[in-house]
Amino acid sequence: MVADPLSQLVMLGSSGMLLTALIVLWRKGIPAYVTAYRWQSWLLAAITATVGYYGHDPQLYWVAAVLLALKGIAIPALLRTMQRRFGAEREATPYVNTETSLAIAGVLVLFAYVIARPWMTITNLPTRQGLPLALALLFVSLLIVVSRKKAMTQVIGFLMLENAIALLAAVGTYGVPLLVEFGVFLDALMGFLVMQIFVYHIHETFDTIDVEALTRLRH
Amino acid sequence: MSFGTLGLIVMVIGYAAGASVSLLAPSDRAARVLTAIGAAVGGIGGSIAAASVLITRVPVETTFASLVSAAGGIAIRLDPLGAFFLLLVAIVGLPATVYGITYTGEYEGRHSLRLFGLMFNGFLLGMSLVPCAANVFTFLFAWELMAITSYFLVMTESQHAETRQAGLWYAVMTHFGFLVLLPMFLMMAPGGGATAFADLRTHAALMSGPARNVVFLLALVAFGSKAGLVPLHVWLPRAHPAAPSHVSALMSGVMIKLGVYGVLRVVVDFLGAGPAWWGGLVLAAGSISALTGVLYALADNDLKRLLAYSSVENVGVIFLGIGAGLVLHSYGLHALALVGFGAALLHTLNHACFKALLFLATGNLLHEAHTRNMERMGGLIKGMPQTAVLFLIGSAAAAALPPLNGFASEWMVFQALLSGVQIPQPDVAIGAPLAIGVLALTSGLAAACFVKAFGISFLAMPRSDGAARAREAHWSSRAVMGVLAAGCVGLGLAAPRIFDGLFRIAAGLSAAASSASPPAVGSLWLAAPNGVAQVSPLLIAAAAVLAIGVPMALVRLRGLEWRRADTWGCGRIQQTARMEYTSSAFAEPLRRVFSELYRPTEDLSINVHPDSRYFVRSITYTSAVVPWIERAFYDPVASGMRAFATQVRRLQGGSVHLYLLYLSGALMAALVAAWWFK
Repeated sequence: MVADPLSQLVMLGSSGMLLTALIVLWRKGIPAYVTAYRWQSWLLAAITATVGYYGHDPQLYWVAAVLLALKGIAIPALLRTMQRRFGAEREATPYVNTETSLAIAGVLVLFAYVIARPWMTITNLPTRQGLPLALALLFVSLLIVVSRKKAMTQVIGFLMLENAIALLAAVGTYGVPLLVEFGVFLDALMGFLVMQIFVYHIHETFDTIDVEALTRLRH
Repeated sequence: MSFGTLGLIVMVIGYAAGASVSLLAPSDRAARVLTAIGAAVGGIGGSIAAASVLITRVPVETTFASLVSAAGGIAIRLDPLGAFFLLLVAIVGLPATVYGITYTGEYEGRHSLRLFGLMFNGFLLGMSLVPCAANVFTFLFAWELMAITSYFLVMTESQHAETRQAGLWYAVMTHFGFLVLLPMFLMMAPGGGATAFADLRTHAALMSGPARNVVFLLALVAFGSKAGLVPLHVWLPRAHPAAPSHVSALMSGVMIKLGVYGVLRVVVDFLGAGPAWWGGLVLAAGSISALTGVLYALADNDLKRLLAYSSVENVGVIFLGIGAGLVLHSYGLHALALVGFGAALLHTLNHACFKALLFLATGNLLHEAHTRNMERMGGLIKGMPQTAVLFLIGSAAAAALPPLNGFASEWMVFQALLSGVQIPQPDVAIGAPLAIGVLALTSGLAAACFVKAFGISFLAMPRSDGAARAREAHWSSRAVMGVLAAGCVGLGLAAPRIFDGLFRIAAGLSAAASSASPPAVGSLWLAAPNGVAQVSPLLIAAAAVLAIGVPMALVRLRGLEWRRADTWGCGRIQQTARMEYTSSAFAEPLRRVFSELYRPTEDLSINVHPDSRYFVRSITYTSAVVPWIERAFYDPVASGMRAFATQVRRLQGGSVHLYLLYLSGALMAALVAAWWFK
């Protein structure tokens, strides 16, 4: 089977993005998470540009450029500032320990392949190999959000979730129009800014960014 | 452009302007006036449209397909039946509007009269649009507009816990009704997005028997909850007392009647009536409502709640008429069936008139005596003689005394029920006399109830300082009450003529019965075709005038003098208010007879002097009626809901991660479901 280069490249990029999400599951330091996120965003921009190149859609270059500028540079920079302030707090005791997390992630990837099978049979896009990987990335990001305690980790989990959705859109529809991409991206940006404020407030109120402390708010 | 269309345009603009302009009013006082101007213009427009349709018998139709096109657009069709109900809105709406100008004066500075104006006009607009609607969306929109605005009107005095509770009951019951309406319309819709009433009518004729039965039952429950049929009446005795009096007049006089409209529209017009058991069920519901309503009214000491229970009774009487019509229709006696429907419409009109009068008069009493409790009133006839006379006319009409309007319609309901004996079927032969008996008992008890309502509130000596200081209300409110009282008399005297018109409206509803001709008895006699009896309100009135006028004239001619003297005081030297007959005492014999229904709780505490038990310091007697019917129906529902809510609260663990886990779980479940059912 000689797969065409677009399919190969999309597979490669999507796998890379999934790998960066898995890094978050087995590393404990927050600087590593920021790096992983930056790599993931660059890969996303690269995939978008690739799809644009093979699909002859120059609009996607703009999308890729914006992704690179905001997700690949601006947000990681903001995350760095946050990390410099709260970075000392490591993800020492997550709800689910590293080994189990990785096992669950493996199951989730399998699950994504099962779920995506009917989808892959009805589409013949050259990028369809990326679909299960995008779904897997989505599930793994959710796992990060659910199982990790520090607010910073959860923010990164949310951003990766957003990347997963962008990847799903890129490979599932062969590139989304610029306008839609902008809408989704602005949503995510707003979410990120709100969360950033929350993280500061949590830290101010509880002297930690451990989200578990929020349980004390219940009465 | 016809008068009908013009009237509808004026109506919508009037109400809409009243709603929006009063919101922008510079002061509370201006808001009161602007509210009334908008509502009055709307009411006049509505009555022009209704009158033109009733006179020409040509329906007015318009559609605005581009407005809310996704839901089928706004479609308006005003036929004679709708026009009758639209006229009802104006008949009660205009007096209530004028009355409201002075009545809402006491809310100045305490409640937002601007918002009140918005809600009041919105309420009138909603009620006016319901009978004009010609597709499902328009109907539901108007229905919901009416429900929501009336909820806010009920909540006007929301500082009282009682009012807030009433609002909750009202909101729950009205939305329960809405919830039942949706499947009813869905079942009748032919599919393919056709929701015009004309499509529903053609599709309803093609439906299978069981499906028609289900639609009928849903319609009875949905519209019965709005009309206040027992056991769906629970919101009435709560919401009517809580609302401002002119709003109560509108709710009781018009809004609950739109439930009657719904039943006639769906069951008679769309479904073309049905098997005899439909009529039997409606008769049973009507009998139970009439009897329970009047019995609870008798036992109540709160004047507005008494009137609310009396509305339950009168809705029961209206449904007796509809039920009789349905039974007769199913046996092919179409002319007699139309007597039943016509009698129901006549009682709808009459009840609107006298109940509005009574609620407005009660508003004056509340305003002066500062209480709704009749035990704290008494002797009001001295301070407010004109209101007393007007209340007496309303009470006499509610007690169905000839020649007033209440009598005419109850008489016609009797005629419809008596026609049932012509059907040689054992179940009808048993059911019809039973319903007649219930109606007769109800009429008698209603008379007792209004003797109590008038006597305890207006006669004898005042039982509180507020009642002693009571003075007549503003002339404008007395004037509108005078108009309604004149309506009670006029509708009674002209009943044969009006019934003739209502018979024709009913004939337009049912294709099978459209050829039936009204009983040719002219404008003097009220009777059913082949009826066993006839009666003439006009002659009764003439006889009554003669019976009073001739002796008076004789007294004058003979030069005898009028003599005023004290009432005989049983030989006691000093009379106090504590010696009077009370409201509880009046109802006591009935409370004993119907103790199984009332299940009264009684509490008697005697405070005696410590030295001798023969020296009594005070005796306190309290007795309350236990509404066990309500409890039997609603306590299980309420406790079930509470238990369910307690279980659901467990989901709330307080941990962010738990909530996130729910979210992920829901996503996974949705994906698996999509994969499973692909």
